[in-house]
Amino acid sequence: MTTGSATTVMPPTSGTSRGSKGSGASSVQGGWRLGDAVLGLACRGSAALLALMLIALIGVLLHSAWPAIKQFGPGFLVSSEWRANEIERPLRDAAGAVVIRDGEVVTETLAPAFGALPVIWGTAVSSLIALVVAVPISLGAAIFLVRVAPKLRIAGAASFLIEFLAAVPSLAFGVWALFVLAPFFQEHIGPWLLRTFGEVHALRWMFYEKVTVAGRTIERPIALTGRDLLSGSLILAIMILPIITSVSRDVLRTVPRAQIEGTLALGATWWQSCMAMLRYGRSGLLGAIMLGLARAAGETMAVTMVIGNNNQISPSPFAPAQTMASVLANEFGEATEGLHRAALLYIALILLAMSLVFNVIARRLVVGRAARSPGS
Amino acid sequence: MPATPFMTQPPAIPKPSEPPLVEMPARKRPVVGIGGAGGGQSGQYPIIEAIKRGETPEPRRHESVMSAKHILDIQNFQLWYGHSKALHGVTLPIADGKITSIIGPSGCGKSTLLRSVNRLNDLVDGVRTAGSISLKGEDIYARGVDVISLRKRLGMVFQKPNPFPMSIFENVVYALRISGERKRRVLEEACEKALRQAALWDEVKDRLKSSAMGLSGGQQQRLCIARSIVCEPEVLLLDEPCSALDPIATLRIEELILEIGQRYTVLIVTHNMQQAARVSDYTAFMYLGRLVEYGRTADIFQLPRLRETEDYVTGRFG
Repeated sequence: MTTGSATTVMPPTSGTSRGSKGSGASSVQGGWRLGDAVLGLACRGSAALLALMLIALIGVLLHSAWPAIKQFGPGFLVSSEWRANEIERPLRDAAGAVVIRDGEVVTETLAPAFGALPVIWGTAVSSLIALVVAVPISLGAAIFLVRVAPKLRIAGAASFLIEFLAAVPSLAFGVWALFVLAPFFQEHIGPWLLRTFGEVHALRWMFYEKVTVAGRTIERPIALTGRDLLSGSLILAIMILPIITSVSRDVLRTVPRAQIEGTLALGATWWQSCMAMLRYGRSGLLGAIMLGLARAAGETMAVTMVIGNNNQISPSPFAPAQTMASVLANEFGEATEGLHRAALLYIALILLAMSLVFNVIARRLVVGRAARSPGS
Repeated sequence: MPATPFMTQPPAIPKPSEPPLVEMPARKRPVVGIGGAGGGQSGQYPIIEAIKRGETPEPRRHESVMSAKHILDIQNFQLWYGHSKALHGVTLPIADGKITSIIGPSGCGKSTLLRSVNRLNDLVDGVRTAGSISLKGEDIYARGVDVISLRKRLGMVFQKPNPFPMSIFENVVYALRISGERKRRVLEEACEKALRQAALWDEVKDRLKSSAMGLSGGQQQRLCIARSIVCEPEVLLLDEPCSALDPIATLRIEELILEIGQRYTVLIVTHNMQQAARVSDYTAFMYLGRLVEYGRTADIFQLPRLRETEDYVTGRFG
């Protein structure tokens, strides 16, 4: 009812109306205004720019990684070689002895070669350990935030603290891990573990590694330095706690009261009703975990600082390792040679694809559930 | 706000075509109202007006219900949500093996009272209680009462069907599962028995493994009833069990309540007066957290002692 009067009292400001001789609502709805047009275009442009940036990113990555893709193909994913420069080494015969011909050691030259298996292994194992550590804690914290904190009137403060944890720069976590966590592990936990479990035969794989030295395979103890796969995983766990907790909290909040009361009225204990809550929100919680996994896989700085950065596949959590992100951070600066650079960007491309898949699945699970729940 | 009678609604007496669930004697004595017979705008509902002033007038409890054998004894029960008092000294003994309904307008505390019986209000922030509720002579608000095992002795069905997101079978046996029952045979027998009692067995016996969320609203509510009687509760609490259902499903639930009432003590809260008249043996009328009148359903609907009750059950007030 205000449209008619609004147009009559509105002064004809310059450049805002054109060809609107008619009166009433039509002049407002059908009118063409410069400001609207410009801002409308700007909004469309911004949206298009974002899409273009993603496409450009993928395009540039593909282009830069192309030499490596061409040379190694999908075999890159399963190869564990990583030689940035060609190396010369003594040739050995079948028995492992150095071949000597004419009084001189015969050498062989190995061309640079790259394979992503160790970093994929490192990423997968560190992310999994991080999830194993972080998921129970996160779910516990989420249950606390939904079921306990409101009664204690600290829900707001507790939520703030957990979200604040997400805002801590990853470098800060890295520095803490490097100067506190790793030395503590090295001086206290490591020796204790070694004393307690070092001689248990079933756990030998954790403390000893098999290496080939001068053609012979020997078993030697792993130095428990605190800068290893486990430390990297633990720091990852701390870093993915906030996101899993806050998404889980939002998922658990949507569990209808009637569900919780339904279980309690049947004589469920507090814990049993919490389990029922988790069951009700299971797909959303899975999405929260996937989001955490995506973050763990892509996390860079803190992990690089404590994971030890060794390009190897070792079953032991106490062995130094590398993740996709950490190898990029570590080696990109010195990757002058074309193929090395291309191989690193190949890894970046794999990482991008993985994160994309995790995020899409997670969004499906979280948003899909939220869209379905009101109707059910 | 003065209590203005609404003349627009038709009287809500059970239709004559339906089987007479309650005896309907002719009116023998005039309805009594304190402060003279009504007619004028004020002074028509003295009890209601007293309640609105914040007083707690003595309710009319008929001897017929007070002399029955009681399983659940609500004595001078009071409840506060924070600073606001929701129940003002309700004394309401519930007859053993009968169906008792609690009626009253929205906000009269009938659901709160029901949820106090299995201590579900404990979950609500800032709830305080006074007075007592006894189940078979044991005060359920006494110190050291095990609330979990108390709730296992009571069944409860909610306004909206709330099946758990699991199979029909797992829904029914949930109460047994959380008590640690693992024997397949025991669970299957209990499931069939409960589903038969809830008149749902024939409809779902071929798909016990499928999700309970796929059932219709009425079926879901019968499933919830089956779930709540699987442990053979001493009292079954129904909190407006038909309010989210269509008329046909409502009818089926009401038939079911009558049948279950043969076996269990049922306490049902309803805002639907016809429903109370159709299914219950005793009826309590509550208003603003106070009990107003309590007696046999036939008496409450046909021979109420208070004008307030009569006008409420006939839809002239409320």
